[in-house]
Amino acid sequence: METLYYIILVPMVYVAFGVFFIGTAIRLIKIFREPKHPTTLQIFPEKKPKWLWALSDTFLLPTVRKHKPVLWVFLILFHVGILLLIIGHLELFGEFEIFQIIPHEVFLGKGFVGLIVSISLLYLLFRRFKSPVRELSVPEDYYLLVLLFLIVIFGSQMDWARRWYEYGELDVEHYRMYLSSLLHFQPELPYEITDTGHSFMLVLHVFFANLFLMFFPFSQSMHSFLSLPMNKLRRGFVYGQENT
Amino acid sequence: MDKKTRDDLLKLFQSKLNEAMRFYLETCTRCGVCTEACHVHASMGQVRYIAAYRSEIVRRLYKKYFKGRGKFWPSVGEAKELSEIALDELFDAAYSCTGCRRCMVYCPFGIDTQQLMSIAKLLLIGANTEPEILTLLADTSIEKGKSLELFKEGFLEGIKRLEADVLEKWQTEAGTTAIPVDVEGADLLYVALAGAHSIIPAAAVFNAAGENWALSFFEAVNFGAFVGDPTKTKLILDRIVNEAKRLKIKEVCICECGTAYRVMKQLAGKQPFKVSAITEVHARYLKEGRIKVDKSKLNGAVTYHDPCQIARNAGVIDEPRYILQHLTDNFRELTDDPRYNWCCGGGGGLVAMGEDTLDFRMKSSKVKVDQVKATGANILATACENCHTQLSNLNDHYDMGVNVQFLSSLVADALVR
Ligand code: SF4
Ligand code: SF4
Repeated sequence: METLYYIILVPMVYVAFGVFFIGTAIRLIKIFREPKHPTTLQIFPEKKPKWLWALSDTFLLPTVRKHKPVLWVFLILFHVGILLLIIGHLELFGEFEIFQIIPHEVFLGKGFVGLIVSISLLYLLFRRFKSPVRELSVPEDYYLLVLLFLIVIFGSQMDWARRWYEYGELDVEHYRMYLSSLLHFQPELPYEITDTGHSFMLVLHVFFANLFLMFFPFSQSMHSFLSLPMNKLRRGFVYGQENT
Repeated sequence: MDKKTRDDLLKLFQSKLNEAMRFYLETCTRCGVCTEACHVHASMGQVRYIAAYRSEIVRRLYKKYFKGRGKFWPSVGEAKELSEIALDELFDAAYSCTGCRRCMVYCPFGIDTQQLMSIAKLLLIGANTEPEILTLLADTSIEKGKSLELFKEGFLEGIKRLEADVLEKWQTEAGTTAIPVDVEGADLLYVALAGAHSIIPAAAVFNAAGENWALSFFEAVNFGAFVGDPTKTKLILDRIVNEAKRLKIKEVCICECGTAYRVMKQLAGKQPFKVSAITEVHARYLKEGRIKVDKSKLNGAVTYHDPCQIARNAGVIDEPRYILQHLTDNFRELTDDPRYNWCCGGGGGLVAMGEDTLDFRMKSSKVKVDQVKATGANILATACENCHTQLSNLNDHYDMGVNVQFLSSLVADALVR
């Protein structure tokens, strides 16, 4: 068991991050080095400045809001939630003053961010069971959502335990020790990480997160990087022209 | 399908893979936001007519042959072998899509289904299973470009016969030619369609505006684009580009043909002439006071169908409305936002395929009929040959009782001195 914990918490994490960063970089380079589309792919009427509208399309999803308002609410909750969770994780490495502009205790959100993201994920998953999204979906779409749900639920459980059930053995300090040891390539597993009541939650959380990271570059999750360039095309950006 | 055929087809697929195409192939999250976008799905209800479903048919092949995943774990994306069955599916997807790009307005990423369908169309050409008629028509156009001398005489004779009709609409001074052809140094080259309706009213308006114009030898329509053959599209386009350069034309004006306009405007690249749609030119004449029109010529409520390739996909939106303001006080919009106008259901080569697609075109465009009916208009104007044919077919089929008209004809009929 100990070995298994070790494999998941140390070497697999390195492999996962390696695949994630290198895989994503290689795939993006490959895509962006393709010849550019020779003509405009714009939808009219045109609105200026184009870059601002492209940003708005990418981050505010106005077309989803207009046509599927309920989906929009959950999509926004989900994506903003993920962003907050990423910030929360960065704070598990160390203090970042910039994130403390709004003072909060680590892990931010008092446990509610994880809750909201879990609920959003369930919504996103269950809507795929209904026609016509069911006919459109492919296994990848379910895998990603299930994986994310498992990651978030086990991750949040650790947070919830501390906050809501007064479970105090596993603390921010221990995460910081573990994570910064990984960062400095001197992996160290504090006793609290591997041998307390909630350790298996942590191990499962990390395990599923590893799987997700390794699948990311090869899946539709790449939309995180490709959405903006695509929306720029729709707003009328043409390579090699002045685009205002 | 033998290996050689498949490899050849995959090469064609590969030739389509530029940056934008990779974006479109990698990104769809199958969120279903585009479900209500397609007029075919909205009219007929089948899931296979949802934009994302069509794209997925192309994307499955991509996942099989152009992603590493296709080798290790094809089932995760339902990657699919390129087979005879896959070709049938590609045909069904591509030739039930009019390339209107209404779905692109809905998609949070702006995935261009028309582009993805162009892969399907190219594969069909490679497998010799494209609609033959479209290739035939494209080849005829190209042939005409190669051996103009053979056609010239017949063409000029035909044009001569139309001149009387032009003069009936607008009498020019004695000695001027009603339909000038092959004029070096003309300001404007008008590219029409084969058919008097595309030439007579346009000529009358040019003459009324005192334009220094010439009629092109070639017809505007680009069957190469309909069938999705990039080489043929270019050859057909080049005939006109070369003519315009030879005559040192300043402005190439494309008749009421959506595909021709978009191809010329967006695909011709940088040229010494500018490209306009006839609608833009007419609006300009009105604005500059070069022509005058009389509102009393048009009775009843008028609505205007924005041809997808001219409006949503090429931006000619305000001009037709400006013209209509001068033609009537009773104009009614089909939609509040021109991006959401339903496609007539005739694009992408479907109208050019004629009777073969008639049944499908009628069934797939029910929503268009409802949209027109809701305006209560009795004149339905448009600015595209394809749309005009399709809307006229719909008018007959559904007993809509509207009068389908070309916008340019309305202008010509309302001309006053
Ligand atoms: S809206 Fe776009 S991302 Fe969503 S299913 Fe349709 S094509 Fe795919
Ligand atoms: S381009 Fe038009 S016809 Fe084709 S899928 Fe999109 S909405 Fe439907």
